[in-house]
Amino acid sequence: MGATSVLKARPAPPSAPAGRTVTKKRSGRAPTGPGRRRQRAGMLMVAPALLHASLWIGLPVVASVVLAFTKYDVLTAPQFVGLDNFRDMLDDAVFRKSIVNTVIYTFFTVPFGMALGLLVALALHTGLKARGIFRTAVFIPQVTATVAIALVWLWIYNPGNGLLNTLLSFLGIDGPAWLSSTSWAMPSVILVGIWQGIGMKMLIYLAALQSLPKELYEAASVDGASKVRQFFSITLPLLKPATFFVLITSMISAFQSFDQIYILTDGGPGNSTTMMTFEIYKSAFREFRVGYASAQSLVLFVLLMGFTLVNRRIMGGTRGNN
Amino acid sequence: MATTELHAPGATSKSRPVKNGKPLTAGRVALYVTLTVVSLLMVVPFVWMVLTSLKTPVEIASQDAGLLPEHWEFGNYVDALKAAPFATYARNSFIIAFSHTLINVVVASMAGYSLARIKFRGSEVIFYLFIAALMIPTYTKVLPEFLIVRFMPLAGGNDVFGQGGSGWLDSWWALIVPGAVTPFAVFLFRQFYLDLPVELEEAARLDGLGEFRIYARIMTPQVKPAITTVALLTFESSWNNFLWPLLVTRTDSLRVIQVGLSVFKTENGPQWHFLMAGTTLATLPMVILFLIGQRYFVQGFATAGLK
Repeated sequence: MGATSVLKARPAPPSAPAGRTVTKKRSGRAPTGPGRRRQRAGMLMVAPALLHASLWIGLPVVASVVLAFTKYDVLTAPQFVGLDNFRDMLDDAVFRKSIVNTVIYTFFTVPFGMALGLLVALALHTGLKARGIFRTAVFIPQVTATVAIALVWLWIYNPGNGLLNTLLSFLGIDGPAWLSSTSWAMPSVILVGIWQGIGMKMLIYLAALQSLPKELYEAASVDGASKVRQFFSITLPLLKPATFFVLITSMISAFQSFDQIYILTDGGPGNSTTMMTFEIYKSAFREFRVGYASAQSLVLFVLLMGFTLVNRRIMGGTRGNN
Repeated sequence: MATTELHAPGATSKSRPVKNGKPLTAGRVALYVTLTVVSLLMVVPFVWMVLTSLKTPVEIASQDAGLLPEHWEFGNYVDALKAAPFATYARNSFIIAFSHTLINVVVASMAGYSLARIKFRGSEVIFYLFIAALMIPTYTKVLPEFLIVRFMPLAGGNDVFGQGGSGWLDSWWALIVPGAVTPFAVFLFRQFYLDLPVELEEAARLDGLGEFRIYARIMTPQVKPAITTVALLTFESSWNNFLWPLLVTRTDSLRVIQVGLSVFKTENGPQWHFLMAGTTLATLPMVILFLIGQRYFVQGFATAGLK
């Protein structure tokens, strides 16, 4: 929930809304005596959360847009500089590199993670024994801190006697210094991203699979359709909403990867693993260019909003606010 | 939806093709093998973490040591706690996670209740504002949030205009207040309160209960699953949070476990046995919490999509 961004309003996998009746019109009578008291109670009860969100979400959003057009180092007052920050960004090779890296990271972690997540979900959906244990094992990395996970992988990738190179040496292979090689660092980071993300994708697919109508499969079996045929003709099309949901939420989350970069590579070697979030962090907290960092975060925001809107567009209409 | 029911492990589901008791076919064996391999790949890093935390530095540095520790050095944990204040870090994380959980459950459930059950002028607008707030990425909020904390008026030596001191930086306020209430929790609670029958509150109203009492005594006890889900997810994300505590704390005594681990790694070089002992301490509570509340985690994550 830290990254509330990804919590979309309602792109539920098809599992969701069936059979839920929502009672509307339970209130909203004329504002007479008791009705008034009720309304006042309602306002009072929502007030603390509303105040909190206004100060810690509303104000920051406005401020970050304003700051993006300023030069600001926190110590002296911000100076309006128009589009300078955005112009600087065009000349900033490292930031451009970070955008490319973010896209590469996303492009590899998301589809591979999704394919693996779907495979595991399908396997678990067959109703075999002990699937609870398998599901738990796959999901555990999702509830553990990314920092802790990154530290463990940092040790696994250790060139001297980390687990990976130890295992490779059993096979007679001399493993590289994974995280300090410009060619291996990004793949290594991507592997951790895939590994950590499978659980969530599996979970959403599993929820979606469990809501698919059984009758279709029975009919298909009667018609003599093979399991493989059933998968491609029934399961995959019916999983489309879930697939789209997983795709968008995973992309949004991959675009905001930070902790693992901070721990594993610090953006290096030679900026080969730096990401947009990491550049924002560097600009603001290592170079104290808060205005520039705000402009960078605005670019990230626009990209993420783009995903969200595409999601809305395609999923839209079917899910209300209830 | 909020109430998406995922099947708890072991629960039988009618929608699933029932295969229990069928003879083992080649396909099913392949299935078990594949799942076992995948599960092992997921678990091995954690096993490696624990094993390393029980080895001596000599053994870790040695090129030809086995994968298992030769002597199980449980003393590493005691020494790790001496090498860095991991116990303090963990305590700090716990205090923050606990506060977040408490505040979020109380404040968000009130808001969710109000938005679900009481119609007042502007209530719909407020609901949409929360939905919009859900979509704001962390990296859009985090810089201004830092500035608000830094320039918090009349705090940490600041004057009325937030100048002169360091505001809430390096304080419990900064660690607890900004992240205390999440729009997601408001949203989730609202979903649950929407489903309650209107007769429930009408009966209570006839009995002369006030609105707040209806919320606290009648309706909220009916949404216990929502409370558990919000509580577990809030605690988990708070315990695992890294960026925010990294930005707002400097003092060692205020560090949370995730930041403490990162600092230990930077300052002490790779003392893997201590580092893995600390990482185990940081990981274990979440694993246990997940095993206990698995059903609620699964439900919550299926709602949230991703954390």
